[in-house]
Amino acid sequence: MEKAIRVIEEIARRGIIRAYAIGGGIAATYYIEPVLTYDLDIFFIPAKEGLDVLAPIYDFAEKRGFKARAEAILIEGFPVQFIPAYNDLIREAVKNAAILKYRDVEAKVVKVEYLVAIALQTGRAKDKERMIRLLDEAVIDRAVLAGILESSGLAGRFKKFESQFYGK
Amino acid sequence: MENKAARKVFRKKRDRRRRLAKLPFEKKIEIVVALQKAAAGIREDPRHIIWPIQPDLKRPRSSSGR
Repeated sequence: MEKAIRVIEEIARRGIIRAYAIGGGIAATYYIEPVLTYDLDIFFIPAKEGLDVLAPIYDFAEKRGFKARAEAILIEGFPVQFIPAYNDLIREAVKNAAILKYRDVEAKVVKVEYLVAIALQTGRAKDKERMIRLLDEAVIDRAVLAGILESSGLAGRFKKFESQFYGK
Repeated sequence: MENKAARKVFRKKRDRRRRLAKLPFEKKIEIVVALQKAAAGIREDPRHIIWPIQPDLKRPRSSSGR
């Protein structure tokens, strides 16, 4: 995995993307018990806005001999899925990413408070399950979470969630 | 209606998950790969790739999360 992380870091260093942060199951696994996942999800802010923000990444991958596979790029055997930051919350999560260490490499990872907010916003059954695990198992700064929920207009939805699952 | 036995089981499960949450990230990734292999053992899915991770026994492990 460290090779894949090095390539992702290189993509950012070369300015092919402006910024990135690991999200999805691997970001969750950083904070909670390991979850079954198959892709390394990378939220990114494109270097240039446009219709096809993935094209520069795929061009780079092709030149380096990494093949596309379904929605992912196989980097050193790892399916890496690049997901453009599609709203303000995700953009903010990428900008405020934490640093993850894996063996001798470092990578950016979405902070746990943003993961909770993103899961709440996405709102599928598996996101709700992930939220419960994050809230139960991870160390969460409640004040930071409250600020994120407020600024992204999710405070009301979070109250409903807490009422439904925690009887608050 | 409260069920003491069920409550005890749920508490133990939660405690176990919290312990797993504190594992080093490298160890967690090894568990993810073990889960991938176990899932493939039940039902192989050509869309899913088992990650090529080798256990790294030489380097000290960093801690995970916060």
